[in-house]
Order: sequence, then structure tokens, then C-alpha cells
Amino acid sequence: MEKIFYNKVGFITLLGREIQRFMKVPVQTILAPLISNILYLGIFGGMLKTRQMGINGVNYLQFLVPGLVSMGTIFAAFQNPSFSLISQKFQNTIQDINSYPISNIEKALAFILGGTLRGVLVGILTYTSTIVFVGFMPGHSLLFLGSLGATAFLFASLGLIAGLVLDDFEKLNFLLSIIITPLAYLGGVFFDIAKLPGLLSAIRFINPIYPLVSITRAVYLGIFEGSIYWLIGIAAVMIIGTFLAAVILFKKGIGIKIR
Amino acid sequence: MLNISNLAKTYLPAKKEALKNVTLDIEKGEFTALLGQNGAGKTTLINILAGNVLKTEGVVTIGGYNLDTHALETKRIIGIVPQETGYDSTFPVYETLKKQSGYFGIRNNGATIDELLEALYLKEKRNSNIRELSGGMKKRFLIAKALVHRPKILVLDEPTAGVDIEMRHTLYDFLCKLHQAGTTIILTTHYIEEAEKLCDRVVIIDSGKIIADEPKTRLIESFSREVTVEFQFDFELDIADMAFLNTYNPQIEEKIKLQLRVLKKDLSKVLQMISRRNMEFIDLAIEKPKLEDIYLSLIHR
Repeated sequence: MEKIFYNKVGFITLLGREIQRFMKVPVQTILAPLISNILYLGIFGGMLKTRQMGINGVNYLQFLVPGLVSMGTIFAAFQNPSFSLISQKFQNTIQDINSYPISNIEKALAFILGGTLRGVLVGILTYTSTIVFVGFMPGHSLLFLGSLGATAFLFASLGLIAGLVLDDFEKLNFLLSIIITPLAYLGGVFFDIAKLPGLLSAIRFINPIYPLVSITRAVYLGIFEGSIYWLIGIAAVMIIGTFLAAVILFKKGIGIKIR
Repeated sequence: MLNISNLAKTYLPAKKEALKNVTLDIEKGEFTALLGQNGAGKTTLINILAGNVLKTEGVVTIGGYNLDTHALETKRIIGIVPQETGYDSTFPVYETLKKQSGYFGIRNNGATIDELLEALYLKEKRNSNIRELSGGMKKRFLIAKALVHRPKILVLDEPTAGVDIEMRHTLYDFLCKLHQAGTTIILTTHYIEEAEKLCDRVVIIDSGKIIADEPKTRLIESFSREVTVEFQFDFELDIADMAFLNTYNPQIEEKIKLQLRVLKKDLSKVLQMISRRNMEFIDLAIEKPKLEDIYLSLIHR
């Protein structure tokens, strides 16, 4: 049976590569999502800032910030491992992963933590830029950071799964634009999804983005309602489930070994 | 050092049998040539060792470790130079080799990396992006990459394909030194003279099966019962006059050279037949079969 932790130096090297990979091109990986999030905030927030969202009198701008921070985190975390793996498939170096004496959990963790860091970084920078518009908000900074970390970890795991299963950028872009982006819009980033009618509202129960955006928003606004603990439980199950799924895919060699 | 037992691979979903019941034991320090036509199963075999292809049946042990139960340990023992020169252009040459060392759990591997760059004539390119390297340089870079963790077994899948003659010979020297230093080497190649020059054992694989596995000298010896004899005369020859030698498949080259295929035991008899006809030759050459001839005769058998 394979050891869970086998090669600490190998794990750190792989994680370092995943971090260096996005740090080498900060304009594309950090600045671009940051600018688009600020634009969202400027346009939607500027137009609708006086609208009350019905949560203890919070205005739309305050409502929007945690949504945008979460969305930035989600996309950055998802893209890092998925683009890394598909690039390696494209460059025909994917087989290198099989040659390293690094356990499957270490490999999965290295890719996921690389994505998590990028997600959190984009999230923090997005949040920092919103201070100009709404001031310093979260009353629970560590919890806010924790919720961003959890969001990033979940979507980095999903990104890793996508990177393993998919074999080209077109399929990945299709997934991003047809599945992830609509889920983000229907996950409560821009409005309170619970207020939508019927089926559209029910989608939140199967949308992995909804609980994480809701938790981040609750921490950001400092408003904890009873349902938040259920959402934390759902998010924890999703995080553990997707991480284990990513490790199992690595172990089975899906997308990296020939059957 | 490397033990392969009843190895089989059937690719799904096409159910194409690439390897059929392959058994092979490679001892420590051997330099083995793995020969075969395109699609014979060589690369499948190497990819199974590298962990890129999942085997269907059989047992593989590398350095005493079972590939199924101790895959991570086997990776520290083996270094693979793949056939295709895929590369990650994110990092330059030295940085990539440093990272490669890290993946194998080795910190501060600068001395080994410098040594490899020097030996493989890549020292000047240490800070170059891999995409800037020529085809031959990329091949050498892949060899360096496979060697940073100082593996006991080095497997090279057509390392000299597309490499110019001079650099090919430089690589031969490098591989010889590596072999002398105790590394077990498995080489697949389409250049038979490469196998003849470098290897001490020859394994020929055809349609997924091993059809020959012998020390090179013994393999050549076993095919040397028949030799090619070439007589050179100072007058022009006519094939019609050579009917008395028909048993030996006479061929005339350049009008003055006569080639015969003769069993070693019949050599003196042939000489007598020629001298009886008062055909005085000015030169005589006896040529043993080359590995290439043996290879061709085996795969077309």
C-alpha cells in the first residue's frame, strides 16, 4: 500500500512549481481577474448602491463585495490546477507526473494548495480594492480568510478533477463558461438567490458555489443566521468529497496514464 | 536488477494486444539493446516501467521492488528518457533540472546538475529556455533530466533519433562512461549499428513477443555459420562462367568482385574450386553477418 506522505521535498517542489507558475505571469493570473472584479463593483455597485438587500439594511455594495471576492477566488482557484494539467497534456509532459516518487495525496495536495493560494490571493486583493468603495468591513477577519481558503480549496480540487478528466483547453473553457460561470451567477454572487422563483431558487441546493458565497458573505457582514451552520456542514462535506475524488482519480491514473 | 514476468498489455477499448507474455531478466550492469520494428511493443514496455501505461497482466520488479506494491520506490531506481521531446517552457534548463531533483527528494543537487550539463554539452545553455534548444540539445536535456537522481537503471527510448552523427558519437561515449560507472542501461533504437557498438545483450521484440534474447556475441556467432566471401580479380567476370559456384549464390559486383555465401566448413572446398579454374584472385575478404542482417532475418522469419 502506498504511503500517504512519502516525499516531503518532492511535495514542496511540486507545490513551489504550481505557485511559481502563476507568479511568473501575474498580469494574467492576478491582475486580470482583479480588474474585472473592480469593474463589476464599479458598474453594478455604483448603479445599485442605495438598494437595500433586506439583510439588516445592508446596501447593495456591501452585499456585492463578498460575492465578488468569492467569485474571484473560485475562478482563480479552479483555473490554476486545471490549466496546469491541461498545459502539461498539451506540451506532452504529463507523463512526468507519473515518474516522480511522490504519493498520490502529495501530488493532489500540491496542485490543490497551489490553486488555493492563487484563489485566496485574488480574493484578498479584490477585497482590498473594495475598501476604497465600502471601507474596511469584516468584523471577523480570520473567519473571512478561512472562508476564502475553504472556497479556494474546494474549487482548486474541482479544477484538479477537471484538469485530469479533460484533455484540451476547449473543453475546459466550455466547462468554465457553460457550467461554472452560470453556477456563480446562480450562487448568490450578485443577488439573493433565495428570492428567485421556484426552480431557479432550488438550484442553490445543488450548487457548490451557493454555500460558500453565503458563508463568506455572512462572515463579511458579521450576520450569522441559523441556516449558516447547515451551509458550513454542506461545504465541509463537499470539500472532503472533492478532495478524496481528486486523490482517487490520481490513484487510478485517470487522464495521466494509458489504459 | 529488472525482472519482468509474463507481462501482457492489451490496450482498451480497441483490445489491441501490444505485449504478449513477455518475460525478461536484466542483470545489474548490463547494457541491453531492445530492438524491434515500429509498433513491436518496445515503447509500451518502457511506458509500463515508467508508470505511464497500466499493464494488463504480469509482474514487474525494479531493483527488487514490485511495481504494483512499491511503485514509489521503483521510481527512485529508474530513469526514463522518453522518445518524444515534450518540454515545459515555463522554466529554463538549470531551473528545470533543479526542480526535477526536488521531485526526487534531492535538495542542493547543483554539483550533479553541473556535471551532467558539462558532460552533455549543455553548460552554455543552462539559463536558456528549453524551447530555444535544438532538437539534439533537447534530447540531451532529456537524458540529463532522467539522470539527476542518479538512477541505477537508465532506459532510453530512441535517444539518438534525429541527432546528427557527431553528437550521436558524443552520446555513445557518454553512455559508455555511464555504463562503465555501473549503470544498467536499456536502449531502444532503430540504428542497429548503435546496438552493435554499445550493447552487450540484444533483445528483439516482434508483435509484442520476445523472439531473441542473447548476449550480442553469441547471437552473432549463432548466425555466423554462413559467411560472405568476396574475391577480387584483376579481370572482368561474367556471371555465366560462375555456374560451377551456383550452390553458393554467386553475385558479381563492380565487374571484378565475386561474392559468395559460404558455410564456414565449405571455405577450403570453395577455394579449391576457384584455383582449379585457374582464377587467380588479388584480394579476399570474409565478412561475418552484422547484427542488422541477423535482426532482419529474425523479424522476417
